[in-house]
Amino acid sequence: MIAQVVLNGFITGLALALPALALTLSYRILKFANFAVGAMLTLGAYFAFVLNVTLHLPLIVAAIGAAALLAATLIATDYLVFARLRDRTAITLLVASIGISFIMENIARLIFGNGSQNFNVAIMGGYQRWNLRFNAEQGYTAITAFAGMIAVYLLLGHTRLGRSMKAVADNPELAAVRGISREAVIRRAWAVNGVLLGAAGVLVGLERGIDPQLGWSYLVSVFAAAILGGLGSPVGAVLGAMTIGVVQELSTLVISPNYREATGFCIIAFILLLRPQGLLGTVSLKK
Amino acid sequence: MTAYLVTILIFVCIAILLGFALNLQWGVCGMANFGLVGFFTLGAYAAALVALSGAGSLAAVAVAALVCAAGSAGLALISLRLSDEYLAILTLGFGQVIGLVALSETWLTGGSLGLSGIPRPLTGLVPEANYEPVFLLLLIVSVAAIYVVLELLQRSPFGRVLRAIRDDDVVAATLGKNVAAMRVKAFAIGGAIIGVAGAFHSFYLTYIDPSQFTTAITGYTFMAVIIGGRGSNKGLVLGAATIIALIESTRFLKDAVEIVDAGQLAALRLIFVGAGLVLVLIYRPQGIASEYQLKSASLFDREDGRPIEAAPAEGERS
Repeated sequence: MIAQVVLNGFITGLALALPALALTLSYRILKFANFAVGAMLTLGAYFAFVLNVTLHLPLIVAAIGAAALLAATLIATDYLVFARLRDRTAITLLVASIGISFIMENIARLIFGNGSQNFNVAIMGGYQRWNLRFNAEQGYTAITAFAGMIAVYLLLGHTRLGRSMKAVADNPELAAVRGISREAVIRRAWAVNGVLLGAAGVLVGLERGIDPQLGWSYLVSVFAAAILGGLGSPVGAVLGAMTIGVVQELSTLVISPNYREATGFCIIAFILLLRPQGLLGTVSLKK
Repeated sequence: MTAYLVTILIFVCIAILLGFALNLQWGVCGMANFGLVGFFTLGAYAAALVALSGAGSLAAVAVAALVCAAGSAGLALISLRLSDEYLAILTLGFGQVIGLVALSETWLTGGSLGLSGIPRPLTGLVPEANYEPVFLLLLIVSVAAIYVVLELLQRSPFGRVLRAIRDDDVVAATLGKNVAAMRVKAFAIGGAIIGVAGAFHSFYLTYIDPSQFTTAITGYTFMAVIIGGRGSNKGLVLGAATIIALIESTRFLKDAVEIVDAGQLAALRLIFVGAGLVLVLIYRPQGIASEYQLKSASLFDREDGRPIEAAPAEGERS
């Protein structure tokens, strides 16, 4: 029983890892907390929904298409909004990202309504082993999340783009002197965000159905994961996401499942009290 | 028609109260409260429960204000030494938790059915027929009183230090100001005002349930503050009136344009609010009315009286 719950928790955590990675990457490079990360995930899920259900494409093709479409949307959003606020305070960008979040979520609501919808996929079977139940959605989640994490790891550590991202994150002026264009790096960071959030949107939509609130209800958990890992630390984001997933599932054994979403808030409050810099990572203390 | 107008004005007053609070927290101190609706819910339920227990309206308002102030102070304390993103996400999470509690703890909050029959203030003294205008008057008096207190506060040394902290907390700390304590106090005062707003909401409707408290309220309040100009309480009257006018006028759109149903209308409004927020932040960050500033401060400003904007760091655009 406990083992099953922990397994489910890991899968929940894996699904959280992708948006947490997206959040932590944009935080490092753009220096603000993107509260629209939830709405962007929702948008990714709806892109995939249109490709899969309206255009009858297989889900895997729809997912790739959704990732590409979302990447393009985020680059456009950056051009229209965030680029114009680049030199403002983090708090201004924070509020702007909430504005973006309202726009994205409600465009989805305007077009698709409030109801929950599902991808057009065959009902997937399960698999039983060592008294544990695995279902196919969990398998897809695990594979996609691992693929995403490895891709981000390789991107950051072993490519020119990854190095320029880190350079811009650490010291944009110095990077500029070395001929790295901050704007170009930021655009690519949004593209990476789009791919991660598009994939996450499909996974979450597959598991719980797609509705306009999808990403919003995930938002606090995603932040909890990123903060627990230390905002700005990619490895931390993954560890944080796994921890949050397991704690969230275990909490349902103790408290009413209604409060599952409340665990995110409680974890954030505890981390801030005990270890504000998170598991890995450094924190910018005020005062 | 008069009755409708009175109702609208009551909603405008409640929106102004919420705006006052956010203006103090975010406009003056730079602490974004994304869980505003959570505190509003907390205030409304606290006031409703106290009023239903028969303790009287005044006690209900006081408890609502105290509970919300304590909650706000707690969140501000937890995120005290961290940058503002942490407070923003904490408040957002707090808002969600309050929503869950309101929905789940049926024994206390009535769950999705909510609480009904909330007693109103002054019911013994005012004839039933004239009640709503008197309620409006009471609300206007409260708004005016809070306005005066806030203006005095903003012009006091306390207010000046708060703005100094928003603009550069290191300098404020270097000058020997207790930055942490000031921020917690300001956030708590804001919380208390949201509590009062929640209490009036409960009294006016006499019936509350979780569906009344949506995230849209937080969005509308940010919009009201940003229209009115961050830091300007006078501008807020304009901001809150604009928002309520927007909500009320689009209500008729539903009847005029048949393709739009209620859900789509709500979505359209929020798209409008989101776009408005972003546009004002980009094109008119100081809002429509501007913040009160000491005249002598203009000595250090540019000649056109606008505060000097920080120059972008060199080399950021290459």
